[in-house]
Amino acid sequence: MLQTLRWSAGRVVSALITLLGVSILIFAAVRLMPGGYEDIILGPLASPEERAALAAAYGLDQPIIIQYFAWIGQILTGDLGVSFVTQSPVVEELAKRIPVTALLTVMALFVTLVIGIPLGIWTGVRSGAKQGGAMGRIASGFGISVPEFVLGSIVIFVFSRLSLGIQVGGFSNIGSGFGPTFQALLLPALVLSVFCVAAAARTTRDAVMSVLVEPHITAAVARGETPWHIVRHHVIRNAGIPILTLLATVTAYLLGGAVIVETIFNIPGLGSFMVTGLDRRDFAVVQAAVLFAATVFIVVSLVLDLITSALDPRVAVTGKAGS
Amino acid sequence: MKQNRTRARAATGTALALGLACVLSSCAAPASESGSATQTEAAPGFLAVADDALTGSGALTVQLDYDTSEADGLDPQTAQTARSWMIMGLVYETLVTTDENFEIQPGLATAWEQPDDTTYVFTIDTAATFSNGRALTPEDVVGSLQRQMESLSVWSGQMGPVESIEATGADQVTVKLSEPYAPFLAALANTPAAILPMQEVNDGSVDLTTTMLGTGPYLVDAHRQDESWTFTANPEWRGGDDLAVQTLELQIVDQESTRQAALREGSAGLANFVSIDALTQLADAPDARVLNQSQSDFYYVNVNSQTPGSPLEDQDVRFAINTAIDRQAIADIVFAGETAPTGVTPSNLPGACSVDALPSEQATIEDAKKIIEESGAGDTTLNMVVYTSEPVMGQIAQLIQQQLDEIGVTVEIEQFDTATYNARVFGAPADFDLSVGWFAGYVDPSMVTKWWNPEQALFNAGYTGVHEDLNELITAGASETDPEARAEVFTELCATADEYSEIVPLVHRPSIVGFDTAALSPTIQSNEGYGNILRDITEYRLPAAE
Repeated sequence: MLQTLRWSAGRVVSALITLLGVSILIFAAVRLMPGGYEDIILGPLASPEERAALAAAYGLDQPIIIQYFAWIGQILTGDLGVSFVTQSPVVEELAKRIPVTALLTVMALFVTLVIGIPLGIWTGVRSGAKQGGAMGRIASGFGISVPEFVLGSIVIFVFSRLSLGIQVGGFSNIGSGFGPTFQALLLPALVLSVFCVAAAARTTRDAVMSVLVEPHITAAVARGETPWHIVRHHVIRNAGIPILTLLATVTAYLLGGAVIVETIFNIPGLGSFMVTGLDRRDFAVVQAAVLFAATVFIVVSLVLDLITSALDPRVAVTGKAGS
Repeated sequence: MKQNRTRARAATGTALALGLACVLSSCAAPASESGSATQTEAAPGFLAVADDALTGSGALTVQLDYDTSEADGLDPQTAQTARSWMIMGLVYETLVTTDENFEIQPGLATAWEQPDDTTYVFTIDTAATFSNGRALTPEDVVGSLQRQMESLSVWSGQMGPVESIEATGADQVTVKLSEPYAPFLAALANTPAAILPMQEVNDGSVDLTTTMLGTGPYLVDAHRQDESWTFTANPEWRGGDDLAVQTLELQIVDQESTRQAALREGSAGLANFVSIDALTQLADAPDARVLNQSQSDFYYVNVNSQTPGSPLEDQDVRFAINTAIDRQAIADIVFAGETAPTGVTPSNLPGACSVDALPSEQATIEDAKKIIEESGAGDTTLNMVVYTSEPVMGQIAQLIQQQLDEIGVTVEIEQFDTATYNARVFGAPADFDLSVGWFAGYVDPSMVTKWWNPEQALFNAGYTGVHEDLNELITAGASETDPEARAEVFTELCATADEYSEIVPLVHRPSIVGFDTAALSPTIQSNEGYGNILRDITEYRLPAAE
């Protein structure tokens, strides 16, 4: 128990160090990019004096170290700064957009869990059968290899020509009701989930297959347990840890994929906000959005690690899940 | 000579047309077929004319590719981009405006006189009121124009040598210039010269950076940056009750394919497109009509003459490169014939120079090859910088790369986002050999020609030299008011700039406008100088609700 607590505390500390590293990396990356906010907003016609004045107004003429510590100081007080473009506090801007991305991500995650994992179990169990195995491999291979921007473009093309009652590109804010928002996010969520469904199916299938060859499964078969009973009581439980690990990866992937999908489908979420911010060198926005995404990933990973260690205490001792 | 040049390129042009055009238009039917069909004018100077038989009124949704982001907020006087001018132009009005032939027409000034070359006497429309109900006064006009002149913004330079602005009657304002300046009225016709509520600005009750208060047909109801604008009809507008579009929603939709989808399915009544491919890609949509509005804006190539040791310091080398660039091929291949070549003065503006008469168009490819060979410029690989937010830039660059390859010049294309592009091209020192960009063409040639003088256009000082002969022609073009004499100046100016070959104009930048015929009957001019695709929105007609 003490060992588990010590291991958990270590994981929390390493998560905080990772977050600090991410903050330094984000800050340095966006500040070292060529071109500044003043170049974009004022354009080439502005005089050097006008550009210098605008840079000074936003503190962009200060040394990068001073800017970094000023930013970190702000963050520790809960202030993420002001968007250069909208002139609104970044916290307010994120508050408008995070729910949209969260709903999109949750919908995609739901599809992943509902389709990906059962599909993986089914193909794993039927790995010996020609039809099931081949179909699973083809479906997951397709899902993993087709990028979102290709799939999204195809979906927009198809659904703009075939009126199936699903609107393309007409996002309704959550405030206007859940129904229209859900409908607007349906296609993007499906596009976003394709890779994750495929990845979940593959991982689950491999995990199931690795469990199925273990002696206790052979013993269960010998005891005359039904296939469904074996899957439910022996396979799913033992295949759970790699699936949990996958969920952390999928969460990170969904946040990254949302950037592309939101841009393609014109959804005013965190992803499209971040892309626009990057284009305009709206540093406070990019830094806050990336830091938020990194925090979500780190926290999810941490929580899943803790759950994993609870499920299998050997993780806390050896750092590896038992087989 | 010109024929030799054309023949020498026939094979290459055909091959490129087959290859590149297929890629660019997704191997759809040639754009010229549908494009030419869609470009039939509904009336002289108009691609579409609203159907007055339609009596409906209500909401219109317009999808645009990007929002404005002004460093100084919503102040029209400091607005720098055509998109800002269009959006702010829904609320603000100017003393004069331009028509489908780029001619100046009355706006808030019902009439004007010009007793001499340097004096303009405007009669102000006393029926005009701001949306807060206060009547427009000559003092608003005087204050607005003075404020613009004192702002030192880009547009204050376009206003010319204004000496004095005075109210000379209850409905009269007189502007005196220190010397004749032909583009003066054209500069007054754009949103940065908008007439502002100066009484409220001066007493501090209105902050123009956060509030738009004008005499125009619309009021801002809501704005979510990069998402949408909502406008409602201004009940105080002197245009009366004949406004069909009572609510206007501008949705910002970055992806061209999504805007196309919205037009197909009817969730947008009107949308803009940058890619010429929209003409063909929407050709089969039953209710969508797509038009190619001719803009005075144009693409150009910068040829950096200011990098020490660069072969581009040599004017002959630059001219050889200019000679090898085939403007017509760019129009035909990259734009499927839907645009036209231009010189320094936008070719669709009155008095513009003839592209065919340019020295580089008269020269031969063989001469260009010889210069490159003798200069040793072919031993160096030149970079060509383009930005990615407008994909056609990369396509133009690819074609120029192949054209320059014909004379032995190797070009490596580097594509960046806009901020990086700006830093590389407009930074000090400039960090590129060749770059592709575009200029707004405005509605008077002299408003553009000044960009060839780096002492006025500071942004290009890093890559162009100062040429007194060219600068004198630029000044002469602005001060000459006789149309024929002015056209002669422009011919010489275009030729001189062409020989220096530091900023090489290519072709006009198309503006593709699509609309849903089931939802909207718009009026759209064939030509546009200030990027205002909603210029005639007060003329739009909507079908009556069923």
